[in-house]
Formats: sequence, structure tokens, C-alpha cells
Amino acid sequence: MLVPSLMDGLLLGFVYGIAAMGLSLIWGVMDVINLAHGPIIALGMFGIYLGFTGLGLNPYLMLILVIGGGLLLGVLIYWVAVHRVINAPHLSTLLATFAVNMIIIGIATAIFTTSPRNVDFNLGGFPVGPITLPWTRILAALASVLVTALLYLFLYQTRPGKAIRAVSDNRAAAELMGIPTSWILALAFGLGTMLAAISGGLISTFFPFTILAGSSYELKSFVICVLGGLGNPLGALIGGLLLGALEGIIPAFMETSWVPVLEFVLFVLILLVRPQGLLGSKT
Amino acid sequence: MALLEVQGISSSYGEVQILWDASLELERGRLTALVGSNGAGKTTLLRTVMGLLKASQGSIRFDGRDVTHVSPHGKAAEGIVLVPEGRQLFPSMSVYENLEMGAFTKRARGNFQANLGRVYDMLPRLKERAGQRAGTLSGGEQQMLAVGRGLMAQPEILMFDELSLGLAPFLVLNLFEVLQRLKEEGLTMLLVEQNVQMALAVSEYGYVLAEGRVELEGPSRELARNEHVREAYLGI
Ligand SMILES: Nc1ncnc2c1ncn2[C@@H]1O[C@H](COP(=O)(O)OP(=O)(O)OP(=O)(O)O)[C@@H](O)[C@H]1O
Ligand SMILES: [Mg+2]
Repeated sequence: MLVPSLMDGLLLGFVYGIAAMGLSLIWGVMDVINLAHGPIIALGMFGIYLGFTGLGLNPYLMLILVIGGGLLLGVLIYWVAVHRVINAPHLSTLLATFAVNMIIIGIATAIFTTSPRNVDFNLGGFPVGPITLPWTRILAALASVLVTALLYLFLYQTRPGKAIRAVSDNRAAAELMGIPTSWILALAFGLGTMLAAISGGLISTFFPFTILAGSSYELKSFVICVLGGLGNPLGALIGGLLLGALEGIIPAFMETSWVPVLEFVLFVLILLVRPQGLLGSKT
Repeated sequence: MALLEVQGISSSYGEVQILWDASLELERGRLTALVGSNGAGKTTLLRTVMGLLKASQGSIRFDGRDVTHVSPHGKAAEGIVLVPEGRQLFPSMSVYENLEMGAFTKRARGNFQANLGRVYDMLPRLKERAGQRAGTLSGGEQQMLAVGRGLMAQPEILMFDELSLGLAPFLVLNLFEVLQRLKEEGLTMLLVEQNVQMALAVSEYGYVLAEGRVELEGPSRELARNEHVREAYLGI
């Protein structure tokens, strides 16, 4: 009973990991906590849902559109809501992204209502010894690993990727070296929201959801960032795995409804004892 | 016509005006010095010239064109490059990556290999340390990297803010040799220094900034003989 549930949790953990990576990337590059993270995860879910039920598109094909849409949406959010307040105190950027959060939820609720949806898509299972893992989860985990690897390649091997790291290190110096830092911030914001949208899209292939479902994943992303240390993409993936494992183990000992409670107890404990994150380095 | 003409610029931090109607010209191929005591506004002047700080008045012309409202990255793209005070490296990136970022602009990108060779030749330490994270370099090495990164930008005008600050004498000498070589190559430079004696010794023309205003200007040799300068800045 424990082993299949743990395996399920771990596979899910990869997907949580890239959601958290999106939050962590934006924080790491521009010190902004993106409170529109949850609704964007939900938009990723609805992207897949609309493609699948409306157009009959394969979810993984539709994911390509979600990736592009998530990137563009993030760039747009940056220019419309974040850019103006990027140098203002944290409260301003929190309010700005919270406003975006409310706008997305408001519009999407008007269009989709809050009734539950699901992507009725099944690829069967993959037997591993005595247990069977659903293919949708295996593919979601593999996609998450691939996305992480591509993100690293982008950040460490390409010019725009290196520019993101330079801007994150020292924005003024990057500007002096001829790097158009505002566009680089917009790009980083776009990548962060893209990761959120991808995670939502992948989750929609095995869990039902509503337009409000993003908020619980947003909270998980915060817990993971605290586990893995904010601003550290690989830490986010590892934090995701830890959280996934926890979610796999807890139901073996108590009611599933205790999962979020324990997650937040953990969250507060880590903040109290090791505010730089379980895996984060002291700075 | 001077390559860079700064005409009566003023600028402030919030409500506090720091720079008052400052003018200066950088002649093509000349090494110009800007000196003044701590807090005189030298860094503020450079930040205003680059556009990191908004000029509330005055104009900046580069090669005859008005660039007053061009963004800092736009200025870098034109070849106006600042090696900022306090190095301002990209600490989590390697020495090589810092040099790569120096060559970010289109004008610099095409000459990357040639410029890299030149920088490694002038500052061989950087070649040895190419793979090391910039944040773990010694202070002197960091300053070399800041200079190297500026050179990678293929500058038309290279401005240094406190080149020698906090460096051991032999390192200062080393960097001034680099300066000498760049001068021979005909690069237009502005040297901002607290080491007034050294600055006036290597430069051809100088400006003295005090309390945000240009107090004196003239050929460096004359400034070095000036009573006031000798008393106030050279302690003689
Ligand atoms: N970010 C800032 N906000 C407010 N005031 C500032 C700021 N930066 C500098 N100042 C003030 O502006 C004045 C000029 O500072 P600036 O750094 O330009 O002097 P400087 O000539 O470069 O001095 P130093 O030789 O010490 O580098 C100082 O009085 C300083 O306190
Ligand atoms: Mg200064």
C-alpha cells in the first residue's frame, strides 16, 4: 500500500518541482513574489482541457501551445503590471501581482464558472513489479525532468540565458554592459509563468480541477521553495520530490485531509529554524 | 569637436541635488582625468552621463549626436562604456562568462575573439582564472576583470571610476600600464580617481569637481602646478 502511493507521490513531485521552479526563478532574478502563480497554473490546466475537449487535440500536443501561451502571458504581465513597480518596495510588487491574480480569476470564472473539469484521457498503466504506474504520471515526470534540463541548458549555454543570470547578479552592471535589462526581466518573468503553465497542463492529465485549483498548487510551490531555497531551480525540483514523497507517505498513516495541514506545519517549522531553506545556502 | 560633450548637466537623488550645471568634454584619443574629494559627485556625474541617473538639465552629445535620453544599455551599444566603482561584476558567473557579458552588444560581439585575445594578453591573470567564479576572485583580480569586461565591450569611450581604489601599489602600476597602452592605441578615456597625483600624471587634461560643480579645468600639467589643487588635493 505504501510503495505505490510513494511512487505516485514522487512522480507528482517532479511536476510540483517545475511549478515551484517558476516561482523561484522570478524571485531569484527580480525579487518579486508572483502571486498570480496559481491562476496561471489553472490556465495551463484549462489550456489542455480546451484543446482536448474542444478541438480533440492530444494533451501533449496541446502542451506546446500552453508553453508558448504561458511565455507570452508572462511577458505581457511583466510589462503591464510589474515593470512600473519593479524598483518599488516589495509590497508594491506583491499588490501588482495580486491584482493580476484577481483579474485572471475574475475573467476566467466568468467564462468557465467554477465547476469541476477533467481531461478524460487515459494511457493505461505501466506495471513495475506488483504495482502499476499510470502512464500520464510517468510522462508528466519525464516531461518535468526534460523541462528542467532545458531550462539549465538555456540559462548556462545561451546568450539570453546568461543575460538572465547577469541581470539576476547585478542589474545595473548588466545595463552598463549593454544588456536591455527590462526585456531580460520580461523574459525571465515569461519563463517563470511558462513553468507554472506547464505544470498545470501536466497535472490536468490525471487530476480533475476547477479554475480555482491553482491556489493549492501555488501554496505547494511556496512550501517547496522553502524546502529547496528560493532562487535555486534545482533546489525547487528536489523540494518538489520531497513534498511529493511526503504526500505519498502521509495517507498511509492518517486521513488525506491532513496532508495540507502537515505541509504547512513543515513550512512554518522550516521558516523558523532554517529561513534560507532546507537546501538553500546561507547568505 | 570633442567625442563626448557634456553640457551643463544637473542631477539629484530624490530631492537632494548633487550635480550642478557640470560641463566636460572628452577629446578624441585623449585621456582625461576627473578628480575631486570624497563625495564631490564624481560617481554621480558618471552615472548621469551613462543615464543610470536622470539629468534634470543639460545635454550629452556623443560624436555630435544628442544622446541625453538614451538608456544606459543604448549608450553601451554606441560604445560609451563605464567600468563602475566597486567593480560590479557578475559574482555567480565565471570570469569567462563575465567577459562574454562584456561583449553583449552587437558592436562587440563580432570582435569577441580578437578582444578576448587582447584582454588575456594585457591581463594574463584573467586567462589563468577563466573558469573561476568572479565572486571568489581576490580584490585585485576583480578589478582586472572589471577592466577586462569593459574592454570586451569594444568601447569608443572608456570611463573608469576609481580604478586604483584599494589596490596594492604594484597592481595599480599594472593597471596604469594597461591604461598607457590603451592611450597609445588611441582610445578616448576618462579616468576618475581619488589618487589625484597619479591621475594628473597620466592624463593630458583634467577637471576638478567640488561639491557637484566643475571648479577648475585645464591641461593636467598645469593643474598639478596649481596652488589650490596642490593644497586641497595633493596635500603639498
Ligand atoms: N544613492 C544615493 N542616494 C542619495 N545620495 C547619494 C547616493 N549616492 C551618492 N549620494 C550622495 O551624493 C554625493 C556625491 O556622491 P558621489 O558618489 O557622486 O561622490 P564621489 O565623488 O564619487 O565620491 P567618492 O570619491 O567617495 O567615490 C554624496 O554626498 C553622497 O552622499
Ligand atoms: Mg565615487
